[in-house]
Amino acid sequence: MFLKGTKFQQAYVVDESVYSGFISLFRDENPLHTNEMFARAKGFKSRVMHGNILNGFISHFVGECLPLKNVIIHSQGISYSRPVYLNDTLELYVEVEDFFESVQTIEFKFFFENQNRIKIAKGKLSIGLI
Amino acid sequence: MESSEILKQVNKIFIDVLDNETIVLSNETTANDVEDWDSLTHIQLVVAIEKHFQMHFTSSEIRNWKNIGEMCVTISKRL
Repeated sequence: MFLKGTKFQQAYVVDESVYSGFISLFRDENPLHTNEMFARAKGFKSRVMHGNILNGFISHFVGECLPLKNVIIHSQGISYSRPVYLNDTLELYVEVEDFFESVQTIEFKFFFENQNRIKIAKGKLSIGLI
Repeated sequence: MESSEILKQVNKIFIDVLDNETIVLSNETTANDVEDWDSLTHIQLVVAIEKHFQMHFTSSEIRNWKNIGEMCVTISKRL
């Protein structure tokens, strides 16, 4: 199930409910995320979605999309290379990098692509089997 | 690799993972002797050691280790 090279894929949409839900929960109303004119003045085509929305998608992937429920996140790291805008459709690609049977830990690498097949973020994820 | 060199490298991993420059391991060291070596950091330590020495341990091996020295013996046999 978690052999090195095993791949998973999951689609997400950064729609209005995700965007407004994130702001409602975490109160990050920085103008880059909320002010169209400000975002454009800074060189972006529109309001930039919060990068940590993607971390929420990772949480969903681990908790809901893996073929096991007995999992816990040990660590995750992400780097962003392109902005995400409202209503972008993202595809998450996840691959098993290593399985440490001794401590029941799986390491993954992952990346997100947008609807234009442009990679917008990548990272590493470590989970434990509990 | 000499067992003393293995111990030295394991010591460095402990310092890095636990972010504690004062750690000095010996063959007799156990989890009770090292501050912050708990069930969660144990996982980080084992993963870091497996990566560093490019080997995998088994869960039964780990359960049978009584101290750092026994872990170093396992590493030595695999190198």
